[in-house]
Amino acid sequence: MRAIQHLLRNTLLLFLTLTASLAFAEPDIDKPAPAFRGKTADGKSIDLASLKGKTVVLEWTNHECPFVRKHYESGNIPQIQKQATKDGIVWLQVISSAPGKEGFVDGATAAKLNSERGSAPTATILDSDGSIGKLYGAKTSPHLFIIDASGLLVYKGGIDSIPSADKDDIAKAENYVKSALNELSAGKKISKASTKAYGCAVKYAS
Amino acid sequence: MTKPRAIKGRGAANPHARSLLNGAKELLWTSILLVSSESAQALPDTASTDQVQARLIASIDAVYPGAKLQLGVNQRIIPNWHTYWKNPGDSGLPTTIQWRLPGGATAGEIAWPVPSRITSGPITNYAYSNEVTLLTSVTVPNTATPGSFFPIEATVKWLVCEQSCIPQTVELGLNLPIVSDGQTVGTGNPLIAKAQASLPVDTPWPITVRDNHNTTALQFGGPDLSSSKIAEISFFPDTWGRINHGAPQTWRPTENGIELTLQPGEAPVTAKQALTGVLTIMEDTDEGPIRHAFEVAAAPVSAHPAEKVDGEVLNLPSAIGLALLGGLILNLMPCVFPVLSLKALHLLRQAGQSKSAARLQGLAYALGVLVSFAILGGILVIMKSTRSALGWGFQFQSPVFVLLAANLMFVMGLSLSGIIKLGGSYTGIGNDLATRGGMIGSFFTGVLASVVAAPCTAPFMAAAVTYALAQPPIPLLSVLLALGSGLALPFLALSFCPAMQRRLPKPGVWMDTLKQALAFPMYATAAWLTWVLAEQTGSTYLPLLLGGMLALAFAAWLMQITRTSSLAYRRIATTLAALTISTPIAGVFLVADNAGFGSGQAQSIEKAANWEPFDPDRLKSLREKGQPVFLNLTADWCISCLVNERVALHVDSVQDAFRKSGLVYLKGDWTSHDPLITEKLADFGRSGVPLYVHYPAGKNSAPIVLPQILTPQTVLSAIGAE
Repeated sequence: MRAIQHLLRNTLLLFLTLTASLAFAEPDIDKPAPAFRGKTADGKSIDLASLKGKTVVLEWTNHECPFVRKHYESGNIPQIQKQATKDGIVWLQVISSAPGKEGFVDGATAAKLNSERGSAPTATILDSDGSIGKLYGAKTSPHLFIIDASGLLVYKGGIDSIPSADKDDIAKAENYVKSALNELSAGKKISKASTKAYGCAVKYAS
Repeated sequence: MTKPRAIKGRGAANPHARSLLNGAKELLWTSILLVSSESAQALPDTASTDQVQARLIASIDAVYPGAKLQLGVNQRIIPNWHTYWKNPGDSGLPTTIQWRLPGGATAGEIAWPVPSRITSGPITNYAYSNEVTLLTSVTVPNTATPGSFFPIEATVKWLVCEQSCIPQTVELGLNLPIVSDGQTVGTGNPLIAKAQASLPVDTPWPITVRDNHNTTALQFGGPDLSSSKIAEISFFPDTWGRINHGAPQTWRPTENGIELTLQPGEAPVTAKQALTGVLTIMEDTDEGPIRHAFEVAAAPVSAHPAEKVDGEVLNLPSAIGLALLGGLILNLMPCVFPVLSLKALHLLRQAGQSKSAARLQGLAYALGVLVSFAILGGILVIMKSTRSALGWGFQFQSPVFVLLAANLMFVMGLSLSGIIKLGGSYTGIGNDLATRGGMIGSFFTGVLASVVAAPCTAPFMAAAVTYALAQPPIPLLSVLLALGSGLALPFLALSFCPAMQRRLPKPGVWMDTLKQALAFPMYATAAWLTWVLAEQTGSTYLPLLLGGMLALAFAAWLMQITRTSSLAYRRIATTLAALTISTPIAGVFLVADNAGFGSGQAQSIEKAANWEPFDPDRLKSLREKGQPVFLNLTADWCISCLVNERVALHVDSVQDAFRKSGLVYLKGDWTSHDPLITEKLADFGRSGVPLYVHYPAGKNSAPIVLPQILTPQTVLSAIGAE
């Protein structure tokens, strides 16, 4: 009986692993970035496929998370956003917080928050059902992904190298996203393409 | 709380002051403390936030010069919130402690109690709920002055999360009196001992990590780890990215313990980046579940492509398929072929019989094979449950089995030579009886085929059997029965298919000649098994074995010459024959008691000029020195091993190449049971010999597994001499 139970359990686990990995497949570096269509804060719709030819940055965010606040209140992320959009890069904020959970906002609030913080992304995607977040395996806020002009995922990970909520650490840290964007524009291979993301857990519906 | 709590705590914990002296000391401390308390300590030992109450505690109430003590930061966390382990998992931050200690004092790293896995949707964290004590060991300098104080200050930062996350920082302090060495130091806070008990310990058994890109497998355990008592097994990596934090972890019992399969993360293990972390095993006991936690630090055994074919990647259907194919091919192997030919001859002889009689014979043969394989499977299951390490052909590790098999081969030979007549099928007493006798004969021919098949390994079989041996009873039996089916299939097909029977050459005198000729492979097998026995046990068993053969031959001759004599003579002859045979049989039972697995195996390994006996420690030290090693795991009863040695390993060109490249040739003999060799085989996903591994020069070089059939060229090119 134990053997049968064991067999059944292993089969079940295998099945769960497969379904879990389908539901939450994490995209690989240098593979095509998963395609998505999202709703933006200004009520429009945005399609990744239509952005082909441009470098796209996806930034998971949650304005109430202390780690996000560290990088916004210090001006760190807004400054990188401004530089990036100036260089023709598409910077998309993604909010995957579910309704009723921390960081969930409507379009108007998202826009207001950005203007208050001096933030200037190309657009803010409202992903309250978490579908885009799960497609990319976004786990923390902030969590950043860079897609190159040919549609390949070239970076995934944290904003910088010191996981803390302390603003004083920003200057000491290596900014992975800045370095990656610099390397990309210089036509080089990204040296640290997959790094540890740190921050608050993304507040998915389940 | 400026008044040192330590004294109070000590008083409470130790209410009966043991002696006047102790009482006097306390009085002394108290007075010292009263004098200095106003100036010395500014920081309280507790601090609270809305979510966490933190407290700085120590393992002793007073320190002395050179003392080693444990400091603890105890966190009491409100329900549903948690703080993080050293690897927080997918999000979160580990707690940090920044110590400020008097000059000369040193603090170690945080010793982290075992965390829990907290999962929310796709995010998995390793964290602490309710309460945790983070320990740090501190050494007091020898220059500390008794009579003064040892002030400790700590800045503790943590992230506490539920739905939201809040980074928090507190400052804690403790001011311990310094006494001189030998004086009572108090029992400290009991939470320290509690926290120490929750720390992972060193594993009692070796842990190996195997990484083959899609999975990372932890193999561990020993005879004391019974899978029936295990409720749950979990691994917590202490470094980000080594495994996918949230992926299911599956475990299964294997030949040598347990294998836990993990999904690699974004920074998977490599030879340089070992897998470190904590392994927890939840054990079911009568008093409820108990969690054991072990420290893990293991670099992966690099997986050579050759290994993958052999074990881990198989699933049940493909193992059954391979076993079936292996069984089919087994018919062509030198061990089985004579037996099968014999059976085919028998069928030919009875070619005139009805179709149904032939079919019944085929079925009886197949049944004989399947029953034998089921029995073998049953033995394997039982021995696995007692955690004996086994492999294919394990029965040949028992001298008694070898002895009996040698005698059986000898009798078979005698029968084929026509000296004795086995079975009643040729006597022509009547068709009915002949058919029945033939069926019993067929059944036992099936048994015989299975017995002689054991020391042979056909292509595809090794992988299937290796897979099967690591499985629970039902898959194990399925694979073995598939192997048996493969073995039985050709004869079964022949007996069911008159067209195939017609293709066989017509019966004639040639059959008798062939039958007599087939006696010689049987004698050869008997001679070989005699040698195996001598290698296993020295000369102890030889008189018994050879005496048994003599008795068998004598009994056969007696029966033969009295075949046509009167009943009285035949009775005398039968009695005499029975007596003659029973003497060596009694001898076997007498020695069987003290001749379990592997007695006297030491003799079989002597140090020869060109090789050294395998010893894991020797291998390890050679590897650490970066020396190249060639490992040969073999057994005297393994035919392909012997052939490989003769044609490929112990030839001058290869031996010269070994010497020239400074390679150390290690040879492990599995003729008798040897758990160290069984373990080494398992390291490479094998359950039986032969195994040839070349470890190239260099400490971390990846071992190269050679094929099971060798030529000098294979060996030379593997060691890079060509």
